[in-house]
Amino acid sequence: MGGGFRRVYPENRPDHGGINKDEGLGESGARRPHVASLQQFGGLLESKRVYLHLLVNPYSCAINFAFRYIKRIGWQNQMKGSGMSSENKINTSMIDDLESGPWPSFVKDLKSLATKKPAVGQLLGQLNQSYEDRWNYWQGTVLNVDGYGGGVIARYSELAEKYPDIAQFHTIRIIPPAGWVYSTATLRELCDIWEKHSAGIIQLHGMTGDILLLGSDNKSTFDAAEELMEHGWDLGGSGAALRTLACCVGQARCEMALIDTMAIQTHITNTYISELHRPEFPYKYKFKISGCANDCACAMQRSDMPIIGTWRGPMQIDQAEVGKFVDGHGADFVIDNVITRCPTNCISLKDNQIEVDDDNCVRCMHCINVMHKALKPGKDRGATILIGGKRTLKIGDTMSSVLVPFMKLQTEEDWEKLTDLVERIWEFWGEHALEHERVGEFINRIGLGAFLDGVGLEPHPEMITAPRSNPYIKFEELAPGMLEGESGHDPAVVNEEVESMESTNS
Amino acid sequence: MARAKKMAPRDNGAPDYKKNLHPLMAKNYGKWSYHEKLRPGVLVHGAENGDRLYTVRAGSPRTLSVDKVRQICDIADKYCQGHLRFTSRANVEFLLANEADIDPLIKEVNETLGFPVGGTGHSISNIVHTQGWLHCNLPGTDAAGSVKALMDLLYEEFVTDDSLPARVKISASCCQINCGGQADISINLQHHHPPRIKPEGVGVCELPKVVAICPVAAIRPRQDETGKTTLEVVDEKCMYCGACHGQCPTMEIRDAKTDTLSIWLGGKTASTRKGPSFMRLAVWGLPNNTPRWPEVGAAVRKILDVYKQTGRPYERIGEWVDRIGWKRFFELTGFPFTKYHIDDSPLARSTFNTSSHVRL
Amino acid sequence: MSFELNGATYETDEDGYLLNLDQWSKEVADYLAAEEDVEMTEAHWEVINFLREYYEEYKIAPMIRILTKAIGKKLGKEKGNTKYLYELYPGGPAKQACKIAGLPKPTGCV
Repeated sequence: MGGGFRRVYPENRPDHGGINKDEGLGESGARRPHVASLQQFGGLLESKRVYLHLLVNPYSCAINFAFRYIKRIGWQNQMKGSGMSSENKINTSMIDDLESGPWPSFVKDLKSLATKKPAVGQLLGQLNQSYEDRWNYWQGTVLNVDGYGGGVIARYSELAEKYPDIAQFHTIRIIPPAGWVYSTATLRELCDIWEKHSAGIIQLHGMTGDILLLGSDNKSTFDAAEELMEHGWDLGGSGAALRTLACCVGQARCEMALIDTMAIQTHITNTYISELHRPEFPYKYKFKISGCANDCACAMQRSDMPIIGTWRGPMQIDQAEVGKFVDGHGADFVIDNVITRCPTNCISLKDNQIEVDDDNCVRCMHCINVMHKALKPGKDRGATILIGGKRTLKIGDTMSSVLVPFMKLQTEEDWEKLTDLVERIWEFWGEHALEHERVGEFINRIGLGAFLDGVGLEPHPEMITAPRSNPYIKFEELAPGMLEGESGHDPAVVNEEVESMESTNS
Repeated sequence: MARAKKMAPRDNGAPDYKKNLHPLMAKNYGKWSYHEKLRPGVLVHGAENGDRLYTVRAGSPRTLSVDKVRQICDIADKYCQGHLRFTSRANVEFLLANEADIDPLIKEVNETLGFPVGGTGHSISNIVHTQGWLHCNLPGTDAAGSVKALMDLLYEEFVTDDSLPARVKISASCCQINCGGQADISINLQHHHPPRIKPEGVGVCELPKVVAICPVAAIRPRQDETGKTTLEVVDEKCMYCGACHGQCPTMEIRDAKTDTLSIWLGGKTASTRKGPSFMRLAVWGLPNNTPRWPEVGAAVRKILDVYKQTGRPYERIGEWVDRIGWKRFFELTGFPFTKYHIDDSPLARSTFNTSSHVRL
Repeated sequence: MSFELNGATYETDEDGYLLNLDQWSKEVADYLAAEEDVEMTEAHWEVINFLREYYEEYKIAPMIRILTKAIGKKLGKEKGNTKYLYELYPGGPAKQACKIAGLPKPTGCV
């Protein structure tokens, strides 16, 4: 860990230079937008700040401050006991504030861990430095376990001279059991292995859904990974690869779950474990699986390929329970909160009985959520498969859109239809996408029509909310020559013609 | 760099969820018939055969010490037949076979773990968030800390489940990549400056990739004085997204002095009612004020207060603003509406009011 | 960080990637491979040569799909996949092979 070329210390932060100098921005408040904005509702903030302080810190009386101070001193003494020299005392004065308040404090928990893991104390020291400087001190790097192209998120500290124990401080992503269900034996095994090799921090779970294990160095990352894999665990995805999947609790504990989310997730994970571990895509690819339109896995926007449980045919209605619900809540409640909230006006209440125009029901789940004992999804169940959701970078957020309106996913044969589609998509996207282009961005660039051609799907009206309004269209069938059954613009045929002309000429 | 040659098995795949299911989950898998909310944070699920499985949901800070995880396990061993689960929003769900165990479990969860019980029904559930200064290489702000500060403020809305018209999901992101995701309320960082290039770092980046990743073609190659290829940014084109920063750390997008926070409203992923929706800019220019970001908290509180007063049952924040209109939203909250709220992306026109419908 | 080889000094970053990519030579590659516990064979060199040629032309490392296809075309279809590449370079073609080939360090997880 010598002097790194990319190190950025507070004194040479980029806002003091660089080739795009624009001193005015970094220095004065003239173009700092928040100044003007804050002044505009400054009064609100001022009055709220008092309220805030009271709420945040209900114990903010002098006695309590004193108590917290003593606690802090006590902690620093413990730190000394754990091998830290007194002149190297770790300053956590700013983040100490996050120990108070009713919500559980990660600072408090990590401080207690720091009494046996000095690296954690140094981590808090660096975090405190970030709070003071409003600056980040982690540098990204790459580290791979043998046979894997991802799964380790490697970080070097830029404050390694001050905090040597976190010079290398990495995260290992671990695939969790589907639905994040655990036996305590499973979790304890994870804790024991991780504590042995690292600073002993676990996040349950990361945004993608992985178990995140924080706090190993270059060597212990390998040791921990080997031991974890020896016990049957496996690394999660990172980089331009299939990412670790996520699903809702599904049929393990929910009467709404229309597909077996846990089984489907496990099946996809294990079928494509190579694609998950060894990046070979243009960019990341995420599946998330929700048992119904309530989408507890946040699949619609947070995954490239959401799989959402749904049903065909009539909804199940228990009119006796409907009667009980109407009696209990009143007809007005049912009209205001169920009938008028239906997006397609397909539900009505007549004589304390619910009627549903099932042909127009879009399976949104709202009425079922509110009257969940009276109304239930239909019996012919499957999933809607969507494509292209992602977060902002680079073209802005995209919501997934319908790719397959209904697919049965009850049996392994059904799953084969899904994986067949997935492989066609990966092949087409892999072949034609730009580097770093998510499948949603790719579809935006080439058009959904071309994408359907590429992956071998027929267009379906459920893929859109309305046909185009733009009249400038390249109708392949109506191109010159095509009407008479001639070759038209088929480039392959044109090329053959050119070649035959050339051969005739020569 | 020599490594041990003896290697553990590779490509194990996902752990077997079946081995991790609570016995009542395994027994009644796919055979659940109803659920009820017993009180805030406590659910019961009934199976076809009459079995009842109780769930107690508790908010966690997500970042846990191994010892805290073991404490959670101790409680699950004592009351939950050794089984539990986590939600996508970092809540712990304790699963109980016996109703009588609920009270003692909650007592221990509150006292031993210090975790509140709640997050069900029309509540504010735990905030999903990114790594921030704790472990990311790109962030302009923290996440775990700002989430802790905000949840301190929203504690009451977590532990009750009828104080809001509908559930409110909140996310927090630390840079403009916005890993935090769509939410009813989202706290995002905004940069206000094109990347400043550290010339000494340019040489180790794959320059064509840096040029290509820019969504607005603002980065182009340039010869420096010595004839070496470096990069330059067309300031007028740059929209400060920071895509280049992830590709090449030398494209420094952050600025401790000028980065601010903004609040976005109305994101929803569920297809319930009118379907999913994107969140929209509501408040911008809030200071990145460590350690508790009080201005962000005050703005969120203001939004929630107005939502509570004027939202209808089952109406998520986006649906509520759709109904009352953004004009009334800005009137009721007192936040200024500015030209920056008007979209100027290629999709902007779809957000213009192309009717004569106005609220007067 | 740096290392000495045949009297010359080579600056590297903390992970051992060459800082001055022009300094790369076959001897440097052999040295870097030894550091990685990789024994260079003809098959290993096929990958390195392709990476070098591609980088010379485009100034970027190829996408993995381009690499596997090129290897498959040259050495036979059964070798045109990531499994084969990881057999040669257990640390991965992006991380390990690029390092030995003297290419820039790949970027992180985003």
